[in-house]
Amino acid sequence: MDLSLILEIDDLTVGATTPAAAPILDRISFRLSTSEIFGVYGESGAGKTVLSRALANWLPESLEYRAGRVAFAGHDILGTGAREVRIGRDIAYIGSKPQSSLDPTVPVGVQIAEKLHSVRPEWNGRECRDRVMQLLDEVRIPSTKERYWDYPSKFSGGMMQRAMIVDAICAEPAVLIADNVTQPLDVTIAAQIVALLHDLCTRHKMATIYLSSSLPTLGQFGDRTAVLYQGRFVEQQAFAELLASPQSDYTRKAIASVPRMWETAEGPLARRQAQGEAPLMKVENVHRTYRARKRGTFNTYSNVQAVRGVTLDIMPRENFGIVGESGCGKSTLTRLLAWLETPDSGSIVLNGTSLGALSSRDLIRKRNEFQLLLQDPYNALPPRTTVGRMIEESLLIRGSFKRADLRKRVIAAMAEVGLAAELYDQLPNALSTGERQRISIARALILDPKLLILDETLSALDQREQGRLIELFSKLQDKNDLTYVFISHDLAMVRKVCTRIAVMYLGEMVEIADNRDLFFDPQHPYTKALLSAAPTLEEKPFDASDFLLEGEPPSPIDIPAGCSFASRCPKAFGRCRVETPRLVEHSPGRLAACHLLDGDEAQAAA
Amino acid sequence: MLILEFLVKRIAQGLLIVFITSLIIFTLLRVVPGDPVRLIVGGMAPPDVVEKVATKMGLRDPIIVQYGRYMRGLLQGDLGQSYLRPRSGMIAAGGQYVDPTKSDMAPVTDLILERLPFTLQLGGMALLFALLISFPVGIAGGLHQHRWQNALAFGMQSLFVSIPNFWLAIVLILFLSVKLKLLPALGYQGFSYVILPAVVLAVEIAPFIIRTLTTSLGEVMQAPFIDEARVRGLSRRRIVYSHALRNAAVPLVNLLGIQLSTLIGGVLVIEYIFDYPGLGNLTVVSVVGRDFPVIQGIAITTSAVFVFINIIVDLVAYLIDPRVEI
Repeated sequence: MDLSLILEIDDLTVGATTPAAAPILDRISFRLSTSEIFGVYGESGAGKTVLSRALANWLPESLEYRAGRVAFAGHDILGTGAREVRIGRDIAYIGSKPQSSLDPTVPVGVQIAEKLHSVRPEWNGRECRDRVMQLLDEVRIPSTKERYWDYPSKFSGGMMQRAMIVDAICAEPAVLIADNVTQPLDVTIAAQIVALLHDLCTRHKMATIYLSSSLPTLGQFGDRTAVLYQGRFVEQQAFAELLASPQSDYTRKAIASVPRMWETAEGPLARRQAQGEAPLMKVENVHRTYRARKRGTFNTYSNVQAVRGVTLDIMPRENFGIVGESGCGKSTLTRLLAWLETPDSGSIVLNGTSLGALSSRDLIRKRNEFQLLLQDPYNALPPRTTVGRMIEESLLIRGSFKRADLRKRVIAAMAEVGLAAELYDQLPNALSTGERQRISIARALILDPKLLILDETLSALDQREQGRLIELFSKLQDKNDLTYVFISHDLAMVRKVCTRIAVMYLGEMVEIADNRDLFFDPQHPYTKALLSAAPTLEEKPFDASDFLLEGEPPSPIDIPAGCSFASRCPKAFGRCRVETPRLVEHSPGRLAACHLLDGDEAQAAA
Repeated sequence: MLILEFLVKRIAQGLLIVFITSLIIFTLLRVVPGDPVRLIVGGMAPPDVVEKVATKMGLRDPIIVQYGRYMRGLLQGDLGQSYLRPRSGMIAAGGQYVDPTKSDMAPVTDLILERLPFTLQLGGMALLFALLISFPVGIAGGLHQHRWQNALAFGMQSLFVSIPNFWLAIVLILFLSVKLKLLPALGYQGFSYVILPAVVLAVEIAPFIIRTLTTSLGEVMQAPFIDEARVRGLSRRRIVYSHALRNAAVPLVNLLGIQLSTLIGGVLVIEYIFDYPGLGNLTVVSVVGRDFPVIQGIAITTSAVFVFINIIVDLVAYLIDPRVEI
C-alpha cells in the first residue's frame, strides 16, 4: 500500500469574521496518507461541517481562517498553493443533503458530466459522459442509461447520495471528504452506502475523511478515528482502541450514549392477551390507496398503494410499536389510526365502536378517546397562541366551560406533564423542544384519552429529554390506564419502550412479535435486515453481513407479484415471486409473513 | 407526449376563455348607455329614423339572438362590419349620413389585421427595451444583495414605477422630438416612429422585471446547490449563468405572461398620445364612436393573443424547470 503523505493540517483555526467570537475550530492538526480512511466523530454542533468545509477551502462568508495551514501534497491550499490544487478535482466533498446538492432543473447525469468537464477540461464531453455512465453503474444505480437523463427530483435519497458519490469521485480526487453522508438515509440504505463508499475508497485509493455523528457508522470503517468536541480534537486513535480505552471523559460519555439493544435480554414486559380480553383498538384489513395523476397521459391515474391490508389488535395498556423505513406506509397508517383519513376498505373498531359508523358529531366525542401526537412540536403548535389557550382549545371545541374551571383543569394537566403553571399565559416561542412536546401531550391528555398515537413523537428530542418523556409516558400510563401506539423508525427507542412491535414493509405488516422475540429471534428476513443495519456498537445476535440488503424497496405504484420483499430478500426462492405470503401466527404471539417459515413448519410436521 | 397533451388541453381551455370574454363584452356593450344608432344617424335625425335604422341593423333583437348571429359570422372568420368606417378609410362623421347597413363599410377583420402588426411591433420593441434595461440591473442587484448594485436596482425600479406613462410620453416628445429633433414622434412613417412609444412602455414594465429578477436570483443564489457547486469545482461564471439564472428564470417567465396585460393597457394610452396607428388607437376611437363590431373584434383578438402567450409562457416554464406542473 502506498503510504505517502497527501494532506497535512496544522493548527487549523477557524472562527466568525467578528474577531471577538470564540473559534469554531481550535488548532486542529492531523496527517492523512493516500488510501487512508480517517474517521471524525462529533455530535451536531461540534464543528464537523465547518471542518469539512475548511479542508476544501469552502468556508461560508461568515467564517474566516484565523491561523493554520492546510497542505495538499505539499501545496498550501489557503495560500501560495491555491493555484496548483483544484477543489472538485483533487479534493472532493460529499455532503449530508444529497437532495438539494444539484440544480433541480438539469438532469443528474448531465450535471455530473458538466462538473467533470469543468475540472478536467482535458477530457472531452464524450469521455466525460462515458465515465459518468460507467461510475453510475459502479455505484449500482439501476438502468444507468435512463437514470443519467432523469432530474434530481426523480431520485430517492439513497439513489441521490450514490449519484453524489459519483459526482465526487469522477474526477479521481486524491482526497475525499464525506460529511455525515448517511445521516438523512434509512438504516438499510445507509448501510449500503457505507459499504459502497468503503469499497470505492479502497479501490480508487482515495484518502478519505469520514465525518459522522454516529460512532457505530465510523466503526464500520474501523481505522484511525478522531473525536471532535467544541472545535477541538480531544483524542485520536484507532477505532477499536478508542472504544476499548477512551482517553477523555467526553468520548466515554459519547460511547455510553450509543443506544444498546441487545445488552440485556430484558425489556418492557410483554402483556400477554388474557383469555377473552377484548382489544382496545381492532384494525381489520385496512387498505388505503392514493390516486396520483400519471404525467404524460390524458386521463389515467396510477394507484399508490400506501397501506395494504393491515390487521392489528391493540390491547389495553399496551405499548405497541410500528417500525419501518421511509415510504413503507407508516405515516398513512398513522393517519388512518387517528381517523384523519378513512380507509378505502376495512374497519377500525375502538372500544367496540366502529369509527366508520359514527356520525360526525359522535366522532368528535369519540375522538376524546384517541389522540394523535405529532413529530415536530414546532409546526404542531400555533405560534401566536398562549400555552394555556392551546391546551383549552381541545376542551372548548367540545362544549363550553366556566372560565375558572377551565383554568384549573388546564393547570392540572400542565402539572401532570411537568409544565410550570406560569407558562399558562406565555407564548410558546421561547420553549424548548421537550417543553413543546409536553404541551402537545397536555393538549391530548386533558381529554382523558384511552389511546395515544405517537407519530415519531420522540424523534426530535435528544437522548436525555427522550428518556424523561419516556418516564413521563410510563407514569401517565399507570395513572390513567393509557395505551400507546409508537410509530417510529428508531429501533433503539422502540426496543426500550414497546411491549409488542409490528414491522412494516411496503404497506404491509411483515412481522408482529413481542419485544424480546423480535429483537433476539426475528423471523422475517426483512426484520433481520433492519436489525442488522441498525447502528449500534454491540455484537448482534446474528451475522449482519448475511442480511445486507441490495437495492431499494419497489415503488408502491408497481408492487411486484408475490412477496413484496422478494426483490431484496437474500433468501427468496421461486414461490416468493408468485405467491404472496400471509401474516400467520407461527408460534403463540409471533406473527410473520414469510414462506420460509412455512417450510420450517412443514419440516417440523414431517 | 406530455407537451402534446398540454397543448390540446390548454388550447381547448383558451377557446372557452375567448368565448366567454366575447359573450361578456357583447352583453356589456349593449347594456351600457349610449346608442350607436344615434351617433350614426346624427343628432338631428328624428326618432323614427333612428328606430328604423336600428331595426334594420338588428340592434333591437334580443341580445342572445344578436350574439348568435355574431358567433355564426365569427366561426366563418367574419367579425362583422364597422358602423363608422367605410372601406375608403375615412371616418364617417355625424354630419354626413352613411348607411351602415350597406356593404361599403370596412370589415372589422381587415381593420384589425391592418393594425395588429403595428401593435405587435410596438409591444415587441417595448419588451425588448425593457429586458435590455432590466437584465443588467436586475442580475447585478440579485448577485450583490448587500452592495450598491442592489440599491441601484431598487432605486431604478422605484423611479420607473412612479413615472406616469402619459407624462413621460409628453416629456420625451417635447425634448427628443420637438427640441432636439432626434426622433420622430407622431404618426407612423417608418421604423424610427416605434422607438419613442416603445421606450415609454418599456419604462412602464421594466420595474416589475427588475424586481422579480433581483429577488428570485437573490433567492436562488442562497440555495444549497449553488453553494455546493463551488466545492464541486464549477466556476463562478458557470454557476451564475448556467444554473442560477436558469432557476431564477421561471418566476420571470411567469411574470412576463402577466405583464402582458399591463402592456395592453399601456398601449391604449401610448398609441393615442403618439397617434400610432395600432390596435390601441383603433380601440380608443371605436369606443368613443360606439363602434360595437370593432370593439368586439379587438376584445376577441386581444384575449386570444393573451391566452396564446400564456400557453407559451407555461410551456417555456416547463421546459426550463421540469418540476413545474403543466
